[in-house]
Amino acid sequence: MEPPYPPASSHPHLQALQPTHLQVLDESSRHGGPPGAETHFAVVVVSGRFAGLPPLQRHRLIHAALRAELAGPLHALAIVAKTPQQWESDPHVPPRPPCLGGSKHERHGDAAAGDRQSPRNQ
Amino acid sequence: MSGVVRAAWRLGAAAAGGRAGRPLSQAAGGGGGAEAEGGGSGGSGSREAVERLVRAHPVVVFMKGSPAQPLCGFSNAVVQILRLHGVEDYRAHDVLQDPDLRQGIKNYSNWPTIPQVYLNGEFVGGCDILLQMHQNGDLVEELKKLGIRSALLDAEKDQDKK
Repeated sequence: MEPPYPPASSHPHLQALQPTHLQVLDESSRHGGPPGAETHFAVVVVSGRFAGLPPLQRHRLIHAALRAELAGPLHALAIVAKTPQQWESDPHVPPRPPCLGGSKHERHGDAAAGDRQSPRNQ
Repeated sequence: MSGVVRAAWRLGAAAAGGRAGRPLSQAAGGGGGAEAEGGGSGGSGSREAVERLVRAHPVVVFMKGSPAQPLCGFSNAVVQILRLHGVEDYRAHDVLQDPDLRQGIKNYSNWPTIPQVYLNGEFVGGCDILLQMHQNGDLVEELKKLGIRSALLDAEKDQDKK
């Protein structure tokens, strides 16, 4: 799948998890990238399909849904994966850790990703 | 409840990617399945090399930067959580220093991101999962199984004395 990817909120593969609640936040600008860069995502997926699945398996389902993005510019992904019951009792998205400028230290073959380097060092 | 979650993990980890979470008794020694992806050249990212690393210590972390100087917020979160539990003796590998390892560890666990945490040779998850384990008490239990007493238990003990 070539970029630009469809808006994440309408991502068909995430929708296939039949979420009762879905949030996809492109947080690339918090890491020095331009908005819409899709390098850092936070996803909140609430789905009955997660019932009985341990966190590792829930995350793997989400990885599979985001396979195209992960093969592209997406290299950081924060995940909240809950059943509707869990979400109802705790509709909480933990704050993501601040960027520590890690992408500055990466060697990217892809020039576009390499350009997204934060001038701010935390 | 947490016991069920833990048991389900191991089942889930073994079933999910086919690569992660194999019991230690089924170590490298003949494989059986076909290797779908690269890393077989014997370099630092090869399956054998990664296997050696994850089994070298009860707690092994693949991260960006080092525990003294994490270079990524998610990697730093893992370091901080381990520190909260008093776990300072663990193996940390900076994938930014070794592109072959960086790709190799992702192939090994069939997991696309860094950091990655291994307990007793088994892939446990990334930062989000470790945070969950920390919050629900599972991490204290898993450390106990490794013979590591979480510092948080001592903190609670102090509070109980009144």
